[in-house]
Amino acid sequence: MSDDEKANSRRGVLRPIAGLGVRTATATLRPFAGVVEAAAGAGLSLERRAVDRVLESTELERVVVEAINSPHVQSAVRRALESDGAARLIDSLFDSGLIDRFLERLLASDSLWNMIDEIAGSPAVTAAISQQGLGFADEIGDQVRSRSRKADDWVERAARRLIGRHPRMLPAEPDAST
Amino acid sequence: MSAPPAASAGEATTGTAVVEDLRYVGLATRAVSFVVDAALITLVNILVGIGAALILAVLHVPSQLKTILAVLAAVAYIVGSILYFVIFWCTTGQTPGARMLQIRVVTGDGARVKPRWAVVRGVGVVLAALPLFAGFVPILFDGRRRAFQDWLAHTAVVEAPGPSIAEVSRAKKRAIREADRQPPPAMPE
Repeated sequence: MSDDEKANSRRGVLRPIAGLGVRTATATLRPFAGVVEAAAGAGLSLERRAVDRVLESTELERVVVEAINSPHVQSAVRRALESDGAARLIDSLFDSGLIDRFLERLLASDSLWNMIDEIAGSPAVTAAISQQGLGFADEIGDQVRSRSRKADDWVERAARRLIGRHPRMLPAEPDAST
Repeated sequence: MSAPPAASAGEATTGTAVVEDLRYVGLATRAVSFVVDAALITLVNILVGIGAALILAVLHVPSQLKTILAVLAAVAYIVGSILYFVIFWCTTGQTPGARMLQIRVVTGDGARVKPRWAVVRGVGVVLAALPLFAGFVPILFDGRRRAFQDWLAHTAVVEAPGPSIAEVSRAKKRAIREADRQPPPAMPE
């Protein structure tokens, strides 16, 4: 018998044994795999429900508010803002030219000027400006009126005192309630 | 609270009765009103003068004619200024300056001033100003705070409280908005 024939007969014997082993292992492990899969599913569901409950509860809000109000957090933020790193960050932001480019693009865009034209020409804005101007003129007019009335009386009193005449009996101010 | 008489009780007026419900205006307020009007007149005259000077600069005008034009301009200035006051006094009773200070020129009984008396008053203002403004001094002592021109034209200057320009503007806008909200009248069938 040649070597090939010997090997073929050996494979013929081993193949059914190997198939049997695989089937046995599969049958043995199947329940364990199901358990693991079920456990993983249950874990995921539990985790999702826990996150949902945390998000729905007021606890998260309380934690966030307390964290913001916390003196430690505030002090840390203050220190971070006052640090050289923050200054360098701002410097690098400006040095990068990003803001310059942003402004250049913004000023070059027609939309911005259209929006400004729309706002400047809107009846609400023009009415507000004219009302503001009229209100200011009114205020000045009121001031001038009240001061000039006082000056009337003062000049008259002084003139009458100068020539020794009795002061005029001034009319009463109109009652504000009527 | 009962209000005392608007003018001084017991003051020696010039024979006419004092109208009780008019509040007469004193010297300072009238002076401010006059300054506002004078500023307006001067502004208009400056603009007209600049325009006339530009026209004359373009045209070739003999020097004699220029003198005549200068005299005419001066006369126009005086007449225009008097007309400014006269027209406002006999129409609304208020010049722009008087409107700003909420005062009005009225007759002794509170009525509108007639044109001929407005002219008399205009002349009276010039006469009162000629002797170093001595014609305005009686305002300080008269019971109805009248100056020489008021005595001449039987007028008085009284307070005329009214809505301000801003209030008028707001009221107009409100009326327009309300008119827009009204449904259009139904067409007859």
